[in-house]
Amino acid sequence: QSLEDCPLDEDEDAFQALGEEDEDIDQFNDDTFGAGAVDDDWQEAHERLAELEDKAGLSREPDGPIGNDGDVLGDPEDALAERLTRLVIDSELEDPAIMQAVHTRDPPQQPGGLNSSIWDSSAVLRRIRGPLLAQDMPSVSVLDYALPQRPPQARDEERDPSERALPRRSSSPIIGSPPVRAVPIGTPPKQAAIPNFNQQILCPKPVHIRATMQQRYPTPYGERMSPNQLCNVPNSSLLGHPFPHSVSPVLTHLQRAQLLGGAQVKLLPAGRMSPSQFARVSGLVGNPLPSVNPKLLQGRVGQMMSPAGGFRAFFGAPPAPPPSQLPHPPGPGSHLQNLRSVLSLSQHPTCSLRPSLTIPALPRPQPQMFRPDTTHLHPQHRRLLHQRQQQNRNQHRSLNGSGGDRGGHRSSHQEQIRKDPYANLMLQREKDWVSKIQMMQLQSTDPYLDDYYYQNYFQKLEKLAATEDVHGDGPKKERTKLITPQVAKLEHTYKPVQFEGSLGKLTVSSVNNPRKMIDAVVTSRSEDDETKEKQVRDKRRQTLVTIEKTYSLLLDVEDYERRYLLSLEGERPALMGERKQKICDMYDNLRGKAPGQDKPSDDHFVQIMCIRKGKRLVARILPFLSPEQAADVLMATARNLPFLIKKDAQDEVLPCLLRPFSHVLYHLPLGTVTSLVQQLTNLPQSASAPTNLHLTAVLQNKFGLSLLYLVLSRGEELQSSDANAELMQDNQWTELMLMATRELLRIPQGALAKPVSIPSNLISLFSRYVDQQKLNLLETKL
Amino acid sequence: MNYMPGTASLIQDIDKKHLVLLRDGRTLIGFLRSIDQFANLVLHQTVERIHVGKKYGDIPRGIFVVRGENVVLLGEIDLEKESDTPLQQVSIEEILEEQRVEQQAKQESEKLKVQALKERGLSVPRADTLDEY
Repeated sequence: QSLEDCPLDEDEDAFQALGEEDEDIDQFNDDTFGAGAVDDDWQEAHERLAELEDKAGLSREPDGPIGNDGDVLGDPEDALAERLTRLVIDSELEDPAIMQAVHTRDPPQQPGGLNSSIWDSSAVLRRIRGPLLAQDMPSVSVLDYALPQRPPQARDEERDPSERALPRRSSSPIIGSPPVRAVPIGTPPKQAAIPNFNQQILCPKPVHIRATMQQRYPTPYGERMSPNQLCNVPNSSLLGHPFPHSVSPVLTHLQRAQLLGGAQVKLLPAGRMSPSQFARVSGLVGNPLPSVNPKLLQGRVGQMMSPAGGFRAFFGAPPAPPPSQLPHPPGPGSHLQNLRSVLSLSQHPTCSLRPSLTIPALPRPQPQMFRPDTTHLHPQHRRLLHQRQQQNRNQHRSLNGSGGDRGGHRSSHQEQIRKDPYANLMLQREKDWVSKIQMMQLQSTDPYLDDYYYQNYFQKLEKLAATEDVHGDGPKKERTKLITPQVAKLEHTYKPVQFEGSLGKLTVSSVNNPRKMIDAVVTSRSEDDETKEKQVRDKRRQTLVTIEKTYSLLLDVEDYERRYLLSLEGERPALMGERKQKICDMYDNLRGKAPGQDKPSDDHFVQIMCIRKGKRLVARILPFLSPEQAADVLMATARNLPFLIKKDAQDEVLPCLLRPFSHVLYHLPLGTVTSLVQQLTNLPQSASAPTNLHLTAVLQNKFGLSLLYLVLSRGEELQSSDANAELMQDNQWTELMLMATRELLRIPQGALAKPVSIPSNLISLFSRYVDQQKLNLLETKL
Repeated sequence: MNYMPGTASLIQDIDKKHLVLLRDGRTLIGFLRSIDQFANLVLHQTVERIHVGKKYGDIPRGIFVVRGENVVLLGEIDLEKESDTPLQQVSIEEILEEQRVEQQAKQESEKLKVQALKERGLSVPRADTLDEY
């Protein structure tokens, strides 16, 4: 029994229905694959459309706005127009399925020739939508997206033949990332890619509630026309969009890239844009006015971000910004375009902005049109950049402008090209772009902190130049110098990104909002556990830490002079106070605060002095200390000199202290000097001791001997200058001198160290205390 | 005009012939066509030059895009002085052969060195673990 009989015998109707179904299926099949099928080869359709678009573009250039070339539109257009009007009425425009169905019927009707009607109606334009809806509509853009660039560029003679649009970059969604940099990452996208580009929006649309980069947008939006803010322009004709004005979306860098790459110009449902504008903009496939496109398009990019559902990527063509707004500084994201626009406009002076278009004709941008804020470029840097642009503009003007000379100029230009046909692959604007980045990197909030050595070097250079100019007779040479400008530091708090419509908050850690990974806890070991070595080691570490802290204080103190000069009058007392405090702190650090003791021990100081850096530190601090404090330091040094000498054997850094010590000495009274000598010679020792080890050590060391000489010389100075000072009669001094001279005589010549300098008045000093013979001996020794 | 006085910028070097030394030891010679802020380079008509002793050989490579971090140094080649060299150019095969021989000799000597050290109870850390840092 056949299959057919069994189940279906019972139900003739069902069979009937099945049969009908079959018929339907057949019909469907036929429609899809068979003869009756609509030729829905999207690839073909795409090509056709692309061609169309080419021709549409072509027709744009020589002719006028769309309205004028009525001759191009023939009868087919009427039929199409009819269909299109029907579509307009159709309310279900949002439904992709319907749109698809409608669209598939259309392309075949279009003749291979020019049919610009496609651009005419806003409805048509509306239909061109983003790929987010995952259609494989035969819209140009998706395939443009996928396929390499087509030769609409070829149209443009002026275009560098080697120029190719960069492939689309996909990037990860930006969630909680640092704010969008005004400068896109990587290489600058080629500017004039086909504008009818559906942008594949790869990331979900987190609406960054964080305001636009505050450090770059310090002024209220009214003054600043960032791409984001252009959306919020009140008189925008594109207000029919669903976005609340409060949302000021930050462009993700992806969007910017797409933007720069040339975004598809789309329409809002409001369809306010007039066809001519769209045509104008879309016709800008070629180079002539690439500048207009990106710049104006940016304003609409913000509308890409829709928190609402049914999201569709669209860029409105911006008829909106009235001419007056254009001169306003666009946002930093667009300053590059600005640059580009200036450059490309300058390079194509022959292109004309058809005044009939509603797009505001861009006036020839002047350099000063660039926004006044220097968040991106210091005036000097900008000047450098503009000079270059000016040069290039002049160059190009000379090349293109004068018809008569064209041949001549061209030939030289061509000759250049002939020699190196691959020259200038990197366009001038790209070079400027790179150097702009480099110059931006020079800006800092505190040049002295960030780039101390260059600042110093630069100052030295300037001083040199100044002196040269003073000496020279000629006029002051204008040298281009590179400065590192200081920009204001702007505090901005980071607010983690919030997703609209999500329940709760997403904790995403990022560069600005890092997550604690490790719990680093300082554990201090108990005292009994430590061995002796560990204690010693810890002590040394403590000393090192102290030295470092004191060094920081010292650097601050040394910097105060500069800050003082830069500060306002009112702040100065505060600065002085701070400075004093720091100096006290330094001294405390040096001597070691020992709360329980009256006389601080030398131990701390000696520890510091054992370390090379510590000695250098002391040398640098001494000028800042008060005389008493400085004397104290000297005393401590003298007291412990043998020990320090021993420790210094390897480093030999002690002599660096001589200079500051001598400065200190000049201010010391005799009493102090005496005690100093006492310390040096360590007199309170049993007089019976044949040798004074302390003094011996001192004498045998370069630093020690030099110091001794200095002290003695100072004493002599005081003595000779102050005739009636009773201290001169002081036994102590005499004793000391005798002691010193005895030692000096005793020590063999070879053992005596070579001092840094021998003060001249030593002989006269010694002459007071010793007889001639010994004096001669001493002289030879010295 | 000097783009940025007092700084080193590659902008002035564009379209000029350069010699680029890479971190892996290769020497490339080509026309610098494009740069970016990371000093990524686009070299045109690039030639990889292998030096062994007094001989060198060129391997034509075409277009190179070099990531900036891999560049050790680069310098402009004076086209006039370029031919003014005591080195002798040989064919590619020859130079590769020479290179191979040189590598072998180096490996042999290295092995002997390591052996000698081992006999003395010393060990040298392997260079590749230290890498470039």
